[in-house]
Order: sequence, then structure tokens, then C-alpha cells
Amino acid sequence: MDLFSNTVVLSRMQFALTAIFHILWPVLTTGMGIYLVIVEGLWLKTKNPDYYLHARFWSKFYVLNFGIGVATGIPMEFQFGTNWAPFSEAVGNFFGSVIGFEASWAFMLEAAFLGIMLFGWERVNPAIHFMSTILVAVGANLSTVFILIANSWMQTPTGGDMVNGKFVVNDYFQAMFNPFWLNSVSHMFFATLETSLFVIGGISAWYILNRRHEAFFAKSFKIVLAATIAVAPFQIYLGHMSGEQVQQHQPSKLAAMEAQWNTSPAGQPADWSVIAIPNDKAEKNDFEITIPNALGYILEFRKELTHPVVGLKDIKSDERPHAVGLIYYAFRTMIAIGFFLAVLMGLTVLQWFRGKLSAAAISDQKWLMRIWLFSGPLGYIAVESGWIVRCVGRQPWSVYGKIRTADSVSNIPASNVLTSLTAFALVYTLLFITTLYFGSRIVRKGPDLALPIPGTEVTRPAIDTSPGEFVPDERPVEAQQ
Amino acid sequence: METLQYFLPQCWFVILGLFLLLYVMLDGFDLGVGILSLTSSDEERRGILMTSLSNIWDANETWLVLMGGSLFGAFPLAYGTILSALYIPIFLMVFGFVFRGVAFEFREQANRKFFWNIAFGVGSFAAALGQGFALGAVLSGINVDKTGHFIGGTWDWLTWQSVLVALTLIQGYVLIGSTYLVWKTSGELQDIHYGTAKLAAWTTLIGAIFITVSTPIFYESTRTRLFDPPLAYVFATIPFIGVLLIAQLLRSLNRKEDRAPFVWTILLFVFTFLSLGLIVFPYIIPTQITIYEASADASSLVIMIILIGFLIPVMVFYNVYQYIVFRGKVSGESYGE
Repeated sequence: MDLFSNTVVLSRMQFALTAIFHILWPVLTTGMGIYLVIVEGLWLKTKNPDYYLHARFWSKFYVLNFGIGVATGIPMEFQFGTNWAPFSEAVGNFFGSVIGFEASWAFMLEAAFLGIMLFGWERVNPAIHFMSTILVAVGANLSTVFILIANSWMQTPTGGDMVNGKFVVNDYFQAMFNPFWLNSVSHMFFATLETSLFVIGGISAWYILNRRHEAFFAKSFKIVLAATIAVAPFQIYLGHMSGEQVQQHQPSKLAAMEAQWNTSPAGQPADWSVIAIPNDKAEKNDFEITIPNALGYILEFRKELTHPVVGLKDIKSDERPHAVGLIYYAFRTMIAIGFFLAVLMGLTVLQWFRGKLSAAAISDQKWLMRIWLFSGPLGYIAVESGWIVRCVGRQPWSVYGKIRTADSVSNIPASNVLTSLTAFALVYTLLFITTLYFGSRIVRKGPDLALPIPGTEVTRPAIDTSPGEFVPDERPVEAQQ
Repeated sequence: METLQYFLPQCWFVILGLFLLLYVMLDGFDLGVGILSLTSSDEERRGILMTSLSNIWDANETWLVLMGGSLFGAFPLAYGTILSALYIPIFLMVFGFVFRGVAFEFREQANRKFFWNIAFGVGSFAAALGQGFALGAVLSGINVDKTGHFIGGTWDWLTWQSVLVALTLIQGYVLIGSTYLVWKTSGELQDIHYGTAKLAAWTTLIGAIFITVSTPIFYESTRTRLFDPPLAYVFATIPFIGVLLIAQLLRSLNRKEDRAPFVWTILLFVFTFLSLGLIVFPYIIPTQITIYEASADASSLVIMIILIGFLIPVMVFYNVYQYIVFRGKVSGESYGE
């Protein structure tokens, strides 16, 4: 079959599979890192042991995700060399160095302090521990910054020119701070945060529904709720801003996102399609429900468009994406989830103000808790959909308007890629099932509320000095030197 | 400007060498402990072995990620050519990492630990094997055209030389892993690893002798380089210093010293690495493409020195601090909850 002997198609499938699978894990660690900073900070401030126990309980999910995130992240980096060698050579000047910045600024920080965050509770004093938790969160989120800068540059490659097939940087900072970078970094930052918040909220809701430690999980539920008040609406705003930028810089992507086959000229209103069956061969929508005149309101908050929306038919066939249906529905899925989560936040806050979320009464909110439980995985689906829009919508370019995906692929036999792709599919399926299994076991087991709280023990075990025994040194780290 | 075109790639050759050396030492003992875990029939011993790594394995692996990213940025041509030429060894390593990486957490969660024990041990072995093949293949030459693009076949990397290098590297990892465990454990466990360290020291020595002898015989380019004065005098000392270091290592093992074996092994790694660097320089794809031909633009190299190079002391500091926090011997399955 043609598909199995096409290195380009197979390499794209492999990159898509490994990227879609990889992003599942860092989404939670970057977002949850911030949550862990909040609960540990609350513990240090209020001295309420519940917050300490929250930090310990949720960090179990952190570490479960972190290991897989690291393990699945390494294939991402090496794939640029193995499967996309011409791309690596062409963009190494800029793109490669950003990958290097990510490793040195973000990964090393996170990796070095994670050990202290997870295992160092008794080994360093609370201030240093708190600092480690903060640095882990900073490290995790810095990698969002660098990866999104690198990817934004692939969308809006500024700061240099193509010379003999290579991108030569004229202005390094213009390339780093390309038109997309700020919105993209922010949108992804809030995406990881929102996803993590709804995962924590969903798991908390499960305990509340099952009447296990309701008072304990009402705490995490409310922390999450308070954070979503800011996060959920702001994320919709950032999404809108990203859409505006796509309209400005990537007309072919916007046309595919909205399944617009014909150009809508400036100065006129245009219809917005809610549901459609795009037909790439016939270059039209086979079926379509539209809202008249809505496109201008959606893009620019006004009836008449000030910029034209170019139709797919008016872009050369080899310069526009062809998976229109995928892009169109991925985009709608993301938006639907974004609004759904914001509405859920609104309804829940309403119940909060009505006093229905007190530790004693929260278990009666059965339907609300069920919806929160159901909403736990939605953030992931929105993130994946968004990335599909972003990267499938960029096709047929690997670097928009400059380098074609088809020219980016290594000179290797398709059978190699087919083999590695199959191996990834099998191994990742196994990992996915195993993680869900172990994750749900952590949930079923519940928090260990009997954990000793650091700094509150009255009687400490006598220090055993027999040689070769591991003796935890209880003194603050400065005193140990 | 002329000088910069030589100086900057040379800087990055040295920095990449440093990253690779740090990686090979740090993840070397990490992978070595993983390989050693395959020889353990005792669940408690395996638990201690994995605990001794639980807080540092990801930091150790990050040196490779850093090396990869820096190679991508500093020598993009080499990054694409070497990795696509070594498709199979690289993915062998990558899948090895996947299995051993997830094994840490999954093993702890699982009731039946058997599968994850195997995943950890075999994953570590596969990663080391892939690295050995990759190193061997790079040293024995990659088939490229004049512009430095790979034109060879899928299985080019598999030669008797790369098998020799791979086997020796695995011995080296087992050696440094054993001496790390000598340092971090006590009692019976420590005794076992005095034994494995001694054995690995001998097998590493044998492998090193084979490589040292065979390389100048079978590679003309290396031969001319090795016997070309004045560097020839430097190269002539290499075998002697190497043997001396191994002798010191064996002595410290016989005396059952705690830390000295690890230190001697580290010195052995540093020394081997320096010699290797001298032989390879100035090639990034030996003996075809030099660092000057493969390097990124000067502007990129400068900004990378600022944003990565200046951060090296800071990164080393994080790691050292972490070793200070977790110093002492490991005994139980947990690292002092």
C-alpha cells in the first residue's frame, strides 16, 4: 500500500503520535506544579496540616506523570535528527538553539529540584523545600515558554531569511519574540493550568461524591474553583487573541478552521458555519449550518470584516492544508470545551455564594460533582485539539511559507519509520493503559492522612549511629555543612 | 572574523564534550546500576538499587537532552546526519529510556514487580547498548556525501568495531555503577558490588586493550594521526596512564575503600574521554566533516554561549547541591520520607 511506503506520511504519523502522547503528561506536571506551590505556601502560612497532606497526596500524581513525561520527551528531541534531518539542518541556527535553551534553563532546574521536592521533606528545612517546589514549577513552565517560542517561530518565522535552503538569523531576538510567541506561550500556560485544575477538581469531586474525606477534598475543590474564576474566562480571551493572529498571519489555516472555501471580502459581513461536512475534492461543504453575518463578530467583534477572510479555493492547492474536516472539528471541539468549562465554573461559583459548598453540604451537590468528574479529562481533549489545529493547520509547511514538510524528511527507508512507528504505537498503548490503572489506584487508595507532619513531632527517634545505617539528618541543611 | 570562525566551533566542541562527559559519567552509573539490577534475585536489593537513583535519574538523563539540544543548535548538519544514520541504535536507546524511566514509578506502585524489574534492567541495558553502537559507529565513520549528508544504509552502524565499543561501554557502565553502589550502600550489598566492580574493571580493561590495539591497525586515518609527532608523544602515554588508573582502582577495591573506587573510575572516564576528544578533533563526523563545516552561524554560537554556556556552573551547582542533600548511604526502600 502506498501509505506504508511513504516516508513523509509515516514520519508525520510518528511525530503526531509521539507528540500527542507526550503532551498528555507535561500538561499535568506544569499546571499541577503551580497548584503544589499554592498548597505548600498555604501550609507554611496557615500551619494547617491539611495543606501539607494535600501537597503530599497530589504530588503522587505529579511524579507518576513526570516519569512518563521525561521518558516520552526524549523521543521528541531525537526525532528531529532521526526523521527530520534536513529540517534540523535548515533551522538548526535558530530552532536547535532554542531546544538547547529549554534543556539548560528548564529541564535541569526541574530535574534537579524535583528530587528534593519529592524525597527531601525530612532532609531540608521548610523554606528550602518550598523554594524547591517553586523552582520545579518554574522549570516546568519555562519549558512551556521555550517550546512555544520554538513552535511559534515555525508558525511565524521572523528574524531572518532563507539562504541556500538554510534559515540564517539576522535578528535573534526578533526570531525568539516572533509575532505568535506571547499569545501562544500564554494560551498554552493557561491551558496546562486549566487542565490541571479540572483534573484536580474532578478527582476531588469523585471523593466528595463517594463521601470519602469530604472536608479534606472540599479544600482542594475550592482552591481549584477560586483559581478557575480567573483562568477559565481569561483562557477564552487568549484563544480569541490567538485566532486574531491566525487571521493576520496564517490565512490558509484560518480558512481551514472555518471551512471557508470562498473569500469573504473586507467591508462586508460574512456567514459563520457552525456545523459542516467539508469536501476537499469538490472544494465545498457538502452540508452546512451557518449563522448569517456572524463571522465578523467572532473575529473582530463587528459586523463587517475589516480584513478579508481568504477562501481555500483562492489559495494554491499545494499551499494549503487538506485535512480541512479534521482542523474544522478540532477547532470546534476546543472552543466548545473552553466555553463549557467556563460555564461550569460560573454555575459552581453561584452555588458557592449560595453557601452550598460548605464541607458539610458539598456532598449533596451530586449533579454538580458528577459534572466536575466528567469534566476532568476535557482539558486534555481541548489541548490536543488545539495542537491539531495549530500543526495540521500549518501544513503543507513545516516552517510556514518557508520550508515544506515534504522537504524536511530524512533520507531513510520507509520500513525503518514503519517499524519505529509500530513500536511507538504498541509501547505507548501499554503505557497509557498502565498509567490509567496506577493513577486510578492512587485515587482509590486515597490520601494518607496519618503521615507525620514535619516540624510537629514532639519525640523524635534517637539517632542511630551504627555504621552503614542510613540516618536521616534532621537538622536544617545549613547546619549540616 | 576569521578567528571567530575557528574559535566558536572549537568552544562548542569543548562544551559538547563536557556535556557528553558529564552525561556518560552520571547516567553511566545510572544505567550501570540498572544493568546490575538484572543480576539481582533479591527484591530488597533491587529496591535499594532503584532507591539510590530515584532522586537523580532524571537529572542525569537531562545531560543527554542538553547535549542533544546543544548539538542541534551548534552543529545542525551533524545532528541530522548522525542521528538519521544511526536510526536503529538511537531508537534502541530511546525505547530503553522509555521503559527504564517509567519503571521507577510503576514498580513502586505495582503489586507484582516482576515486569517492571525487567523493564528497568533490560531498558537500561538497551539504552547502554544503543549508545555503545552509536559511539562505535561514529568513531568508525559514517558514509556521507561531500556536503555531509548521510548516504549509507540502515545497517551500516553494525560492524565488529561498533560491537566491540558497545560491549566495552557496557562494561564501563557496569564498573562505574558498581563503584557508585559501593559508595552508596553498606554491608552485604556493598560486598557484592566490590566483586562486580573488580570483574567489570578487568572486562573493561580487556575491551579497552582490544580497541586501543585494533583502531590504529584498521584505520589508516587514525594511524597517521596517532603516529604523527608531536601529538604522538601524548598518545603514547595514554595506554600507560590508563593501566595505571585501573591498577589504582583495583587496589582501592582490594582495600575495600568506600569512595576511592568511584573516584578512580571517574578519573578513568575523564581520561578516556580526553583521549577520545584528542583523536576525534577537529571532526564532528570523523574523518569526513569538521566542526568548521558543520557549525551553525557565528551569531547562533555566540548567543548559545551566552544563554547555555554561562549557565553551566549554575547547572553543576544544582546537581552538586542535590548530591549534598541526599548524601549518605541508602538502606531502605525509601529515601528518608
